[in-house]
Order: sequence, then structure tokens, then C-alpha cells
Amino acid sequence: MITKVVGKRVERVGILDKVTGKAKYGADLEIPNALILKVYRSPVPHGIVRKIDTSEAAGVDGVVRIFTAKDIPGENLYGIINKDQPVLTGEKVRFEGDPIVLVAAEDEESADRALAALRVEIDELPAVFDPNEALKPEAPSIHEKGNLLFERKIVKGDVEKGFTASDIVIEETYETNMLEHAYIEPEVGVAYRDEDGCVVVLVTTQNPHSDHAQLVSILGVEPEKVRVIQTETGGGFGGKLDISVQPFLALAAYHLDRPVRMVYSREESFQATAKRHPLKIRMKTGATRDGKLTAMKAEIIADTGAYGSYGIAVATRAAVHATGPYEVPNVYVESKAVYTNNNWSGAMRGFGVPQIAVAHESQMDKLAESLGFDPITFRMMNAFTTGSVTPTGQTLNASVGIRETLKKIRPYYEQLLREADATQLSGLTGMKYGVGVASMWYGIGNTGHPNPSSAQIEVDHEGNVTLFTGAADIGQGSDTVLVQIAAETLGLPFDKIHLVRADTTLTTDAGATSASRQTYISGRAVYEAALEVRKQLVERAAKVFKVPANLMVCEGGFFFPQYREFQKLSLTDIIRRSLVPGEVIRGEGYFNPETTSLDPETGQGVPYTTYAFASQVSLVEVDLVTGQVGVVKTISAHDVGKAVNPANVEGQIFSGVAMGIGMGLFEQFYPRKTKSLDTYLIPTAMDVPEITPVIVEVPEPTGPFGAKGVGEPALIPTAPAILNAIHHATGWWVNRIPADLETIRGLTSADEMEKSKS
Amino acid sequence: MEEKLGEEIVEISAMVNGTSVVLRTPANRTMLSILREDLHLTGVKEGCGIGECGACTVIMDGKVVNACMVLAPKMDGATITTIEGLGDEENLHPLQKAFIEHGAVQCGFCTPGMILSAKALLDEKPHPTRLEIREGISGNLCRCTGYQQIVDAIESVAEGGMEEGR
Repeated sequence: MITKVVGKRVERVGILDKVTGKAKYGADLEIPNALILKVYRSPVPHGIVRKIDTSEAAGVDGVVRIFTAKDIPGENLYGIINKDQPVLTGEKVRFEGDPIVLVAAEDEESADRALAALRVEIDELPAVFDPNEALKPEAPSIHEKGNLLFERKIVKGDVEKGFTASDIVIEETYETNMLEHAYIEPEVGVAYRDEDGCVVVLVTTQNPHSDHAQLVSILGVEPEKVRVIQTETGGGFGGKLDISVQPFLALAAYHLDRPVRMVYSREESFQATAKRHPLKIRMKTGATRDGKLTAMKAEIIADTGAYGSYGIAVATRAAVHATGPYEVPNVYVESKAVYTNNNWSGAMRGFGVPQIAVAHESQMDKLAESLGFDPITFRMMNAFTTGSVTPTGQTLNASVGIRETLKKIRPYYEQLLREADATQLSGLTGMKYGVGVASMWYGIGNTGHPNPSSAQIEVDHEGNVTLFTGAADIGQGSDTVLVQIAAETLGLPFDKIHLVRADTTLTTDAGATSASRQTYISGRAVYEAALEVRKQLVERAAKVFKVPANLMVCEGGFFFPQYREFQKLSLTDIIRRSLVPGEVIRGEGYFNPETTSLDPETGQGVPYTTYAFASQVSLVEVDLVTGQVGVVKTISAHDVGKAVNPANVEGQIFSGVAMGIGMGLFEQFYPRKTKSLDTYLIPTAMDVPEITPVIVEVPEPTGPFGAKGVGEPALIPTAPAILNAIHHATGWWVNRIPADLETIRGLTSADEMEKSKS
Repeated sequence: MEEKLGEEIVEISAMVNGTSVVLRTPANRTMLSILREDLHLTGVKEGCGIGECGACTVIMDGKVVNACMVLAPKMDGATITTIEGLGDEENLHPLQKAFIEHGAVQCGFCTPGMILSAKALLDEKPHPTRLEIREGISGNLCRCTGYQQIVDAIESVAEGGMEEGR
């Protein structure tokens, strides 16, 4: 199919404002007369709130109002999957940072003085910070229903029989790190009540319609009394799916006759928002001598911290993806999300899949080495193909590009092996070089749940074309991609389409910007809306030309009857001749990919319609003296179905590799200790190597122009590829991330001790 | 209420984006808050407030500084360039053009600081290697782009030279 806009590196929507400093993020909105909001948070990780004395704080100059749990008119409980998190807690605190009191003041200094003048008495309770400990009967109970939030099982075939039939079985425990999203823009928003009494919240978010639903419930008002508008958003990575400042803003705007404004400091952003679930994974994998996987058993425990957030989704995704992109006839997985008194864990780029990939990809390399296969050959022997059956019993019918990605990285793998050898020979002593491979699969959209998107396109009587989408662009580029899809389908130039996005009054629900779903699901909804508009336009044009609609051609913004291009009329001409002022042509689009819920006992079902696939190879250097690991080169091949905008896809790949380097090598959030970016280090330009992106396009029949998604897949293979490269360089298997200086130095000294003994 | 240390008022006279600015302000305020709140230059972003992220990077007397780490009195007599002073829609700086052409922007929150660090780098070293570019922007954190398209954009300006711009 020849496309004119889709598949092209068009200029990003909104980029001009971003490079000139004109783009308005939440903190840049100037709201005259706005009050400042600040929150008093629990200084202890577990306890009962005995007394809140606000009298002194209320008397502080400049303080306008102090709110506690009893000021919440609706339900003081929220949560995106299970509701277990209070907006302001009046009874129990479950982590160091739980919000208790909200202060509205004329300025920041007054708000700070009020916070210092609050007297909150908390009876401290014993806390539990380890999910295994939290599961013991004697553990302190964090929520009334107990500390086990959720358990997901996946059962396929007979795993024990599978192990019996194996020639080799490898069993290992893996541990992954708690991570902070560290988007550069902290949480921020403003709110006011408009002339109709509607509470309007302008906020940084990746989930405007969900924010809206939650605020409606918290305020206990009719849906039309709340409006959420997404501001320009400075990154999200899953961390802006849960509400943060939203309920505080809405609550204060609801009660007060003044606009309000709230900005999290970096420290508050670190303390108060979700983290990546650390996982403990016990994985056992069997294979035959000739290299076929026979069985895989995994036990997964995810620390979801004080609240559920996306814990259920993370435990489920980790379980569903636990084999990796390989056919395994016998599978048994138990995956638990467990409450502790740590910071709450939620969504972060990949929902448990980047964590589980560390386990399945390490297992693949261990098996390959033991059986004498190179890592690509062994993966190729087991990789999914059309017709393969996944652990949930789903037959993959289309767009299975995993083998293509492996083929694409093969030559790079060979080249990097030669480079590693050559560098090793000429390099410094104490430096080791190695090459590692990792692959991944990732289901697009929510797991086993309906997750529709909707969109509208309108053409007014002057020929203005407007796309309405609820999809929040948080920097990843959905604005651009959705406009490309609309333009391509309508046969219009890219810049002809005006965009209205992520405003709960003007746009309908497109679902969250998460699960790598916006290009695939919202893209298809936009495509459907555009098809409908195109059909109507062609009918109008046919009337103008007095020919049957099936003889009309629509191309490059012009309409003409077949073979009569010389008579062509522009969209505006057609519109002016066929619409009266005030009349609009409107198309509705809707898409909800087919899924089924997973069986609660066996996990069998169709969790996603389509999957993305990727394979990556990295060359690393290991400094045995300092313990530092550096990634020298990375080649990453992604099957995205169709790259609607190749520059955006490459941007996601670069981004994912960078984030994966932090995850694999140095990022670690320590609850109650990590405060800001001075101790939580994220990759700088010096930590990230030159990356070669390889785009593989095995079209997905249900996707717009064949597209799937890439946002999260980009990250997933990075950490395991690094671990496998460290093994190739040093002979050590590193089974926990990050593989930081201490880990590597520890392995060096253990090796030296071993040598001195012999 | 007692006066806190550092709350004495200072008078600052500075050249900001080519315009002379005179203002009186408490001495303990940061240049970041003065630029954003008093001068409405909101292209200068606050990401951490402790000089770690580089989102508030501006050029002060030819050097990049984190505006959150500079107190008001230091602004007196200084020449300061923010993203707003580099180029606008009608008259983009070559770096701004290059960032657009190379798709070197995702969420855009680090972009103003990143572009200013790149400008200071190229002013000092017009033809840096890719590694030198990476060093030059290593004080500016970006969580979205993985930096590669940013390095490409800066390199393209270095190769084409800065002559076409200002």
C-alpha cells in the first residue's frame, strides 16, 4: 500500500512551541489569585492516626483553609483497579508519605508554616517491608482483607511431566529493583470552579478520563460537574496514570471560591507517587538435548507497597509473559502482588514485563550455553511463529515478528562478537568485553479486559477539519501519529487537521496512555472516524459532480471523478458547495480489540489481540577494578507492525534502551531513604551508547495501517541483554538488577578469593 | 513576624534576552523564580530545585548555569539568555530548527535547557565530536529521548556551522 503521510517522518505536532519555550506545562499556567496547596504527609510507615489538631495551623497568617478526611464530600477512596487508597487518611497510615492534611494558603511560605504548625498524633504500628514476610500469618496486617492483594495462576499442559521429559532443567532466583519514573516534570495542576459550578482541573496526566471518573466519585457530584483538561505533560512512563495532585486540587476548588494551584517538589514526587514493582522470581525451565523448551515453572512475588494501584495488572502481565516469546508446551506460573509498608508500586513502562524478561532471558542464555547453542540459534529454535499457542492457550494468528527480529540482529551479533574479541586483545587489563542478546514479547492494551477507544472527526462548513481524541500525548507522540492516521485516511495533507485532545468535556474516552495502546487502539478509532467522514465527503462530492459515489477519487485533499482530474475540486470547494453555515460533517470511530478475561484458576484466555516482539544485542565493557559496566553499542530490532512515524518509533527505541540501562545497571529506589535526583541517578547522555534501531514491520490486520505499539517494548530487552553480555564478558551470571558497582566488585573479590584458595 | 535571614531586599540590574531589567527582590530568591514569576520566562523549567536535572539551564555571561542554584544578588550586572531569547517562531535559532528536524523532542520539558547547553557548547567549541556533545549536555537530564536524536541535532548544527544563525 502506498501511503503519503503514514510511514513518513513528519514534524511532531506541537514541537515548535516546545523548542521556543512557549509550550505551557501545568506550572507555567498563570492563574491570577490562585491559592497554593500543600499536603502534610505521614512521617511513619505504619500507624493509626489518633488526633489531628489543626487549630494552630489554621491561625497562621495567609492560611485560608485546612482540609482533612472529613471534608471529602464523596468517597474518600480511589484506585485505578482496586479502590484502597484514601485521598486524605483519617484513620490509618500505610507508608511514610501517606497524605493526612491539605492546606490552602495565599503563598508557599504560609503553607509551609501551616504544615509546621499542624499537630498530628499517630500511634505507630509494627511495619513490614518484605513481601515474603508480609505473607506470613503473624505479619502486621496492612489492609483489612490481608496482605495478599492478588494472585494469578497460569496453567498449560503438565509442567511436572514436562520436566521429567527434559534433558536439562535450570532453576534460579532473580530479583529486580524498585524504580522511580523520574519524568523531568514533577506533578502539577491548577483548578477552579467555572460559572456553571463545574470543577475544572488542568493537570499533567496520562489518563484524563479516568481522572475524571475518580474525581466525580471523590467529590460525589454529577459527571458534568467535573472537567479534566490535560496540560502539556512532561513525561509519564506510567507514573502519571494514577491520580496525584488531582483530588487535592478538585477538593479545594470544590470548597473554595478561589482558583488553586499545586506543584509537587521533586522530593514530594519521589515520596508520594508510584514506583516500579520490585519482583522476586523463582524460575525453573527445562529443555531437551536437541534444544526444544519443554516446561517452565515460575513463582513471582511483586511488592505492591502500601496500595494496589496497578499491582493486579503487574502480577498478571508478569505471569502471562513469563515464558518469553517462545513456545513452551507445559507451563505453571503463580504470581502474587503483596502489600507492604513500602512506597506503593504502580504502573511503570512495561507493567512487570521488563522485570520478568530479566528472568526468562537469563534462563534462555543459561540453557543455550549448557546445550551448546549460540543464543540466537537457541531462541530461533523456540520462538513463536504463526500458529503458535501461548501459555494462556491463545493461538497467534498474525503479526508474529519475533523470528524476523532475531534474523535482523544476527549479523550485528556476529560483528559485535568480533569487536569484543578484538577489543579484548588490544584493550586494558582489568577490562572485559562481552556481547549479550535478549528478546521480548509484549501484549498491546489492557490484559484480558475491554479497553476501547473512541474518536470523532468533524468538517465544518468552511472546510476546517478537527480531530477529537481523548488520548493524552505525554511526549511519546500520539498527537502526531493520530493526526497522520486521520490525514492519510481522509486523503488530506498532515497540516490540514486541527487537533483537540484530552479534555473530558470536548473529547470522549480514549482510555489511558499506557500499555503501548494508543497507536493501535486509538489509532484504529481515529481511522474508523476518518473512514466515515471520507465516505460522507465522497458522497457530497459525487453530488457536486453528479456522478455515482463509487466513481469519485479523493486524493491529496482534492476530489474528482475518475479520469477527470483536470476538474478536481478541493475539500473546501466541496464543502462550500454542499454545506450550509453551521452544518458539519461528523464521523465517529470506536475500537475495542477482542480479548477474553483470563480463567481465574488456569489463566487461560485471550489477554490481548496482538503482541509486539523485539530482539536486541548489546556490547558491554566491564571494569573489574571499579565494578563499572558500560554499554558500548546496542542494536535493537522491533516488530511494530507498521511504523506510522519512523522517527517516533526510533525515538521510543532510543528512549527505552536508555531507561533500560538505568534499570539494568544503577537505578535503585530505597523506600524512606531515596529523596531526590542527587541520590537517584538516571542515565545521562554519557551513560547511553550509540544505538542502532531496526524497524521490523509484520502487519497486524486489526491495527491502523498494520500498526501495533512500541512504547514499552523498547525498554524490555535492555536489562537482560546487558546481564547476558556481562556473563559473556566475565563468566558470571548476575541474577539481580541493578548490576551496579557493588555487585560487580563483589563478584570480582569472590573470584579472587576462590583463586587464592586453589 | 520576625525577618528571616536573607530576606533583605536587593536591587538587581541585568540584561535578560537583550532587554535591560531592573528589579528589587528579596536576596534569598533564586534566579529561577525571578525569571519564571517576575519576568514570565516560563521556558525556564523547574525539575528538581537542587541543580541535578538541568531543566532550568540558562546562559549567564556566556556560561551555562542552573538557575535554581543562583541567588538573586548574583544576577546583578549579568547578561542572561533564556530559551525565549534564543529565537522565536519567525526567527528560529539553527539549534531550534535542528531539534525540530531531528525529532529531538518528546515531552519537551528538558528541551529549553538542553538547547541552551548545546548553544553554550557550540559557542565554545564549534565542531565537537559526538562524545564531546554528549559531555556537553551531560548536565541536562532527559528521560524521554535516550539523547541520540538530540546529539544528532546538535551535530548537524556543528557540521553546518552556526553562521546562519545569530
